[in-house]
Amino acid sequence: MASKRKTAKKKTGSGKKGSAEEIRLDFIPAEMLSAKSSPDKLEMILSRVKKNIIVVLEEALTPQEEADLIQQAMSEIDSKEFFGIEFYRIGHREATLLDRISSFLTKRRAGITIVGPTRMVEAIKKEPDHISVFARAGG
Amino acid sequence: MLLDKGGFTVFRRLKRIIGLEKLMGVFRKQKAISLGFYGAVNAGKTTLANRISMDWLGREVGTVSEIPHETREIQKVENVKVETDNGALNMNIIDMPGIATQVDYKELEKYGLAEEEAKERAKEATKGVIEAIKWLDNVDAVLVVMDSTKDPYTQVNITIIGNLEAREIPMIIVANKIDEKEAAPESIENAFPQHVVVPISASTGENIEELYRAIQEHLT
Repeated sequence: MASKRKTAKKKTGSGKKGSAEEIRLDFIPAEMLSAKSSPDKLEMILSRVKKNIIVVLEEALTPQEEADLIQQAMSEIDSKEFFGIEFYRIGHREATLLDRISSFLTKRRAGITIVGPTRMVEAIKKEPDHISVFARAGG
Repeated sequence: MLLDKGGFTVFRRLKRIIGLEKLMGVFRKQKAISLGFYGAVNAGKTTLANRISMDWLGREVGTVSEIPHETREIQKVENVKVETDNGALNMNIIDMPGIATQVDYKELEKYGLAEEEAKERAKEATKGVIEAIKWLDNVDAVLVVMDSTKDPYTQVNITIIGNLEAREIPMIIVANKIDEKEAAPESIENAFPQHVVVPISASTGENIEELYRAIQEHLT
């Protein structure tokens, strides 16, 4: 299933990078994520983020995936175009056995993960009733 | 490798379930625990490691700087023997580079570093972050150091704590910098109510005895 894409401009195509004038967000639905292995998922995220695209996953990454994402981002920083990521995971903690069984059976970790390039996403802040993403075009 | 990450977690759980952990503890009372210092950049990990090492060994672990990413390699001090009201504890201090999701050399230039120096520091910092995360599999217990003048609910803190929980590594959250005017250690307690939080000042030593007691009680 193709990912749904929310863009600031309708003309933005699937292969186009975010640019100096626009902010592009790719929304990746849970069904697409559940078909991917963790390494594939992280590669998909970073390949988009490196094109100045903010990725919104309809899934909470696991702590291990978060740690792997940080490590992979660190290994790809080049001091020229890519300087790392800002990300935030909302929801889902596998705190109880029931949570773990539920995740195992449904193969879903309810929640949302937002990942963007650090030069574009200045901050992602958790407020009591919402999450704010502070971003600027261009990166 | 005989046991992967998942294997180690299962092994830890099994040890706890069948009581092996306590039984093994009887025979290895003198063995030092490997205590990892984790946290975001400039949370005060090295200042705390220095405080503890100076208190009990009379020497420092590493240098401290206002410039981010001063600690870019893992620094170890072995056999730090600490006396508390509840007895002695022996630990190997492992001071980790600060965990970050981004390292921008331009930010380092703002601290007066030349471009090449900033780039080199940034490059070393990225390697340090990778190493620190790898070391999660080698520590027995962790002090998660947070700057209590800042919002604790950051993704770096969430990722560190989530990984420690998933690996069932015991931890204490250290709410550092309580000597500073804007310090709000209660916000750390509110953000992570499921964990032990000890407010301290690593630079002045305020409440450090309470931290030693907490390590003795919760991490050994």
